[in-house]
Amino acid sequence: MIQAFDRLIHHLLVAVDESENSRRAVSYVAKLLEGMPSFKVMLLHIINEPEEDFFADDGERERWMAEKQETAERVLDEAMTVLVGEGFEPERVFPLIKVRYCPSIAECILHEAEASQSETIVVGRKGVSHKEEFLFGSVSNRIVHEAKDCTVWVVE
Amino acid sequence: MQDPLTDEKIAQMAAERLPASTPLGRIHRDTSDFFKVEYGDVAVLGRRAFLVGHNAKEGRFGVDDEVKHWVKRCIDLHDGSRKIVKLVFHEKFKASIANLSFDCFRSPKKEARILDLVADHGHFMHGYWVRDDAGNVVRIIDYIYGKTLHAMINELSLDHEIYYHERLPQILQKYIQCVEAIAFLHRHHEKHGDIRRDHILIDRETGHYRWIDFDFNYMHRENMFAYDLFGLGNIFMFIIGKGDVLLGDLKQGRPEVLDRLTQNDLNIVFHNRVANLKKVYPYICEPLNRISLHFSRGAEIFYQDTRQLLADLNEACHAFGQGDP
Repeated sequence: MIQAFDRLIHHLLVAVDESENSRRAVSYVAKLLEGMPSFKVMLLHIINEPEEDFFADDGERERWMAEKQETAERVLDEAMTVLVGEGFEPERVFPLIKVRYCPSIAECILHEAEASQSETIVVGRKGVSHKEEFLFGSVSNRIVHEAKDCTVWVVE
Repeated sequence: MQDPLTDEKIAQMAAERLPASTPLGRIHRDTSDFFKVEYGDVAVLGRRAFLVGHNAKEGRFGVDDEVKHWVKRCIDLHDGSRKIVKLVFHEKFKASIANLSFDCFRSPKKEARILDLVADHGHFMHGYWVRDDAGNVVRIIDYIYGKTLHAMINELSLDHEIYYHERLPQILQKYIQCVEAIAFLHRHHEKHGDIRRDHILIDRETGHYRWIDFDFNYMHRENMFAYDLFGLGNIFMFIIGKGDVLLGDLKQGRPEVLDRLTQNDLNIVFHNRVANLKKVYPYICEPLNRISLHFSRGAEIFYQDTRQLLADLNEACHAFGQGDP
């Protein structure tokens, strides 16, 4: 459960996954802020749940979910270690795993940012190719375009 | 409640449709093993019996037709109507386009949802779905008589300029209706998933262009509709160019055009196709060509949704109708 944020504290949401660009984003936040006590960090990992018949049966679904859950926990543990290693108090870092069907990952991140009243969103940018962005879209670009009432840091 | 469709009753109904020399095959109420559902068998689905004919085939732009063993051409034994019966095939694979791969799967439930959604929409195939005795979501599709858009355009023996002035205006209007139909799906948070020019059938009775085959699904990334937009763009360029305008063909037939082309003029994904069609056919009006350029390597802005594409299409059509350059 997310704790209600103290208004005097600046709240960051860092969107993480298993990618290298996500690691860079966490590392950047850790090194830049060096555990400043006026910051709280939510580490958000979204598991984008596939449509129900992506799986042949319930067993396959459960195995898929267990694997994604394990990956998400590992990613969050690593991110937490990086932040704490640079001076963040563990109680100022809030790992969160959200399992949901996301028509758009960016929209899901923006929704969580709004729900947690985060003032800053931090995302890594993969540096997708022109045609890759055309075919699949870009999470960081969409967040930059659609975020409201908050700051966005895009870490390359 | 007792099933009125006894094996005896089914045999009687089937005998009226089968050639005298062909005995009735097996009767299936569980279609899980679709390979066992064969020519001359009967599938009992939702209290109706369907006489199974040949498997459906799908051509791939000049490649030999691929047999779709899970898609059966059938006759509804109750009224004699032709149906396409799509059995459940759990297929998952990595698709690859221009070295970019993504997870794809067949999704009977998605197709069933869309059939319900588009039951009253004139620009989609129609049908219904039932569960067989094993719970498989089987789709029963009304047969559409008519050619694919791919075949219709390929069979036109017209010079491009004549085609552009005389046939394209009408085809473009029909294409816009197809894009509006996809916009309808997107508004309902559904993607078509396999937008290709041979997935538009031109209904011989009504003249409507109708989308078929929505069971293809994929794990989308950021923009769940981007792949549909990519398909719509390819069809647009196919329509404007009266076929794919290929570098290889230009090299053979109009080599002087190649001197005018740059990398930015090519299709963003298929680099052997020209997207900047005005450089090949100078009489193509600017607003139409600008749409094409959104799908080129030189594009700086992509369409994010069908609403944006439709706005440009309507504007371009207006300019085209006015004879604007």
